[in-house]
Amino acid sequence: MSHEPFDTLAAVYALGALDGAELVEFEAHLAEGCARCASALREAHETLGALARSAPPAVPPPEVRRVLHGRIAAAASRRRREGVRGSFPWIVGTAAAAIVAAALTGAFVAGRYEAALGQMARELAATRQRLQREVAFYRGATDLLRDPTTRVVALRGLGPSPGATGRMIWHPAVGGQLFVANLPAAPPGKAYELWTIGEGAPRPAGVFRVDAEGRAIHRVEPVEGSKPVRVFAVTLEPEHGAPAPTGPMVLASPK
Amino acid sequence: MTASGAELIGQMAVGDREAFARFYDRYASLVFPLIQRIVRERADASDVLQEVFWEAWQGAASYDPTRGSPEAWIVMRARTRAIDRIRATRRRSETFVAPLDDTLAAAPGDPGRDAAERAADGRTVRDALGQLPPAQREVIELAYYAGLTQTEIAERLRQPLGTVKTRIRLGLERLREVVKPAL
Repeated sequence: MSHEPFDTLAAVYALGALDGAELVEFEAHLAEGCARCASALREAHETLGALARSAPPAVPPPEVRRVLHGRIAAAASRRRREGVRGSFPWIVGTAAAAIVAAALTGAFVAGRYEAALGQMARELAATRQRLQREVAFYRGATDLLRDPTTRVVALRGLGPSPGATGRMIWHPAVGGQLFVANLPAAPPGKAYELWTIGEGAPRPAGVFRVDAEGRAIHRVEPVEGSKPVRVFAVTLEPEHGAPAPTGPMVLASPK
Repeated sequence: MTASGAELIGQMAVGDREAFARFYDRYASLVFPLIQRIVRERADASDVLQEVFWEAWQGAASYDPTRGSPEAWIVMRARTRAIDRIRATRRRSETFVAPLDDTLAAAPGDPGRDAAERAADGRTVRDALGQLPPAQREVIELAYYAGLTQTEIAERLRQPLGTVKTRIRLGLERLREVVKPAL
């Protein structure tokens, strides 16, 4: 087939006026990497860009500038806060690359759907972050379960939260993962703290929070020197944790 | 020394807010008249302007200077968003008819543009559409300002689709010759 029809489609496409089957056909042609069309589009966009100057003069509303700067500053401080919570770059890197590649290809093929793609990319990024976190935890747990030294310890709800349950997957040298369900959210200013109890005083094993459904997954470091742990217990403590248990015990494994 | 538009976008891509401020100051006055011309309502135009520059900030990393000038990049975004806006309005209200009757280009030599750098080429570009044969000018205006697709233009003008496509192509070629000195 001659290229000539595509020259016409490129002009109509540049104006955003291509529709129907021809739009699909032309985008497929572009996606194949037609350099002639890419160059025609580039040139058409420059022409149409210059045409913007033919619009009747209008002064941009000053508040737009202010609002934009506010949005950008707010987004920057939000990103800083999220950065502190950490990320898990060592998982799903390939998936991330695939998502980015897909977004880029999409943007090339259909530049005018950029906003929709941008929105999707943001949603994907949020989902990806959540999945990365979950994958990290679940992978840690399955790795642990493969090891014969690993044991699974049940924790039962006590006192204020009789319906709560917990499972500790524990390896003395590697540490463990605590899975909690049905535990009510800690009151403001408070958080749950896990303790490992062996010889001597209970050792703090990290602070965690539960989600809206009362669930939590908490990664636990091994006890120094791989000392044996007889009991796992969770207490309600000030939100940054305490060096020794002070609050009520909400979950514990049998002695 | 003045940073080029491409340099500013590059700095925006790494989160430079100062670069964004300069980018905005340089290009908002270029794209706002176009947005205003397309969407008509000043409140809508203001929303679209904000959306366009917010997306430019977020999408700065995707800018590829080999694919076009910063001006073409931001104008494309502005036109796309503005047309999205009027298409949405049109979907909501079946009776909405895209404007055709206005004088689409300002009168040649119209004063009041503040950017001195554009004064030289502004005149050439401002009446660029006026230098097209009326049939070509009409289809380009319907697509560029009213956001009609080729099929909609054909229905509206009661012309065969093929004729509309050809007029668009020829009109765009002619336009390119007209604005070339300004580019």
